[in-house]
Amino acid sequence: MPDTTPLLQIRDLNVGYGQKPILRGASYDVVPGECLTLLGANGSGKSTAMNAICGFVKPTSGSILFEGQETAGQPPHRIFALGIAQVSQARDLFPDLSVEDNLRLGAMRRGGREMAKTLAELYERFPRLHERRRQVTRTLSGGEQQMVAIGRALMSRPRLLLLDEPSGGLSPQFCEEIAQIVDGLKEDGVTMLMVEQNLNLAFRLADRFIVLRDGVVVDGGDVRAMAGDHDAIVRSIYL
Amino acid sequence: MQMPTARQRRLRTILFWAVPAILLLVPLGTNAYTQFIVNGMLISTLVTLGFTIVIGNLGQLAFANTAFFGIGAYGSAILAAKLGVPWLLTIPIAGVFGAAGGFLASAAALRGIRSYYLAIITLAFGELMRWTYLHARPLTGGTDGLPMPRETLFGVSLTDDTVKYFVFLVVTVLLVKATANLLASRFGRAVMAVRENEVATASLAIPTSRVILVTFIWSGFVVGCAGALFARHIGHVFPESFGMLHLIASFAMVLVGGLGSVLGAVLGAVVLTALPEYLRAFPGMEELFFGLIVAAVLVALPMGLASLLRRMSPIFVERFYREAS
Repeated sequence: MPDTTPLLQIRDLNVGYGQKPILRGASYDVVPGECLTLLGANGSGKSTAMNAICGFVKPTSGSILFEGQETAGQPPHRIFALGIAQVSQARDLFPDLSVEDNLRLGAMRRGGREMAKTLAELYERFPRLHERRRQVTRTLSGGEQQMVAIGRALMSRPRLLLLDEPSGGLSPQFCEEIAQIVDGLKEDGVTMLMVEQNLNLAFRLADRFIVLRDGVVVDGGDVRAMAGDHDAIVRSIYL
Repeated sequence: MQMPTARQRRLRTILFWAVPAILLLVPLGTNAYTQFIVNGMLISTLVTLGFTIVIGNLGQLAFANTAFFGIGAYGSAILAAKLGVPWLLTIPIAGVFGAAGGFLASAAALRGIRSYYLAIITLAFGELMRWTYLHARPLTGGTDGLPMPRETLFGVSLTDDTVKYFVFLVVTVLLVKATANLLASRFGRAVMAVRENEVATASLAIPTSRVILVTFIWSGFVVGCAGALFARHIGHVFPESFGMLHLIASFAMVLVGGLGSVLGAVLGAVVLTALPEYLRAFPGMEELFFGLIVAAVLVALPMGLASLLRRMSPIFVERFYREAS
């Protein structure tokens, strides 16, 4: 029987920038092994939710429990050390370092031997990164940079992987490649929380979805239960 | 940029040890004057090296290296002149004093002060130290400075520039090698990451504060040791040796050699220490020619003299060093 004890529990989360509230009492769970996608129009609070989970933004109130441990308000490096890794929209790579250096930075806190093993596994998953391991990262295409960003997050062996618009700015060919990567991660049981504007991709990859509107959770459910009928969701997001 | 192959890396290691071995023969071809200049080059190499790791590798616009230099020089002079500590022993102690200066200078950076603000605070730190040398007269001798006591090393007088040269060479080679190794290690990767994107580095659970702190401390140690060598080199330490002029000269050495490059620190120090000596042939025009040559090098080689060697062979490519985009 699959473990349904939530890995991440968000309760009444309020986050704002200055006087402007962005998330207003959002509550949801992420269970181990699932891929949950956050949907919503621009400005609905999806990326803010991600940033709050990672510690880049401090919540004004509410709770973020990761494996039962309160992480709300903790600094990003502590949260990363607990096992939450984010692939941000901006990717935040080190452009003048090589692909391999970028990947190794994802596992800086671990010993050399373990790091080498993780790196070898990663190259098996992403052969293209192995080919380009000595290349300076800024010379890679957008899709390859996204692969490096995902790879660097995986180097830390995260318990929860946050993907903020993994297909953002990529060609359809690379979107397909990113989809295959996410599929592979799901097969390996990696728990993921994803923000994705490309609804077709989001519904193809996610097990469950949540719709945010003006910082409030207004809808949610099982993707498979919708049997491909996404019109109601699109209405709830945009209308 | 092409990275060196395993064979080229081996060749580089051989080259690294072959150069100092050849340098052991330098006194055979020098007179007292040129030997004095060569000794100055070794000291400038360490000062430039300490400077470049903070502003080039770590990417922090900190100008405290003249303060570290003065702390090391006065530390060594006070220990030797007032307490009778053998000069050789004062070198690592001066390094520790310089490292303590590095610790103090890092406080501003650790409080999140960056860019021009960090530059002005660290400049003020240097001026504060110079004020201290001037006014702590019982300890530093004030404007009269502090003379180094006469000493012998294995029966040979330490006033002899050739004897000093061998000591300076050993200290310089050890510190250059240690710094190169440090920058090529995992720590060096973290230093580079902090320079490129501090927030992203912190988010990867890399303790950026510790990286900044250790880099400042190491920079202070290297330049502090250089201060001890300088005290013996000149034989008398004066507050005026640690002012803005020295800082500007060191900054020029960093840029002419190549920002953030160990090889560049060596090249910049050697070239800009030797250049004024050649320009003495043009009395009254020395400063003009010096400025023009520095400007010409920077226009032709914005990444410094080291980039010229890197273009010639990947042997000279330093690990984690990348040309600016």
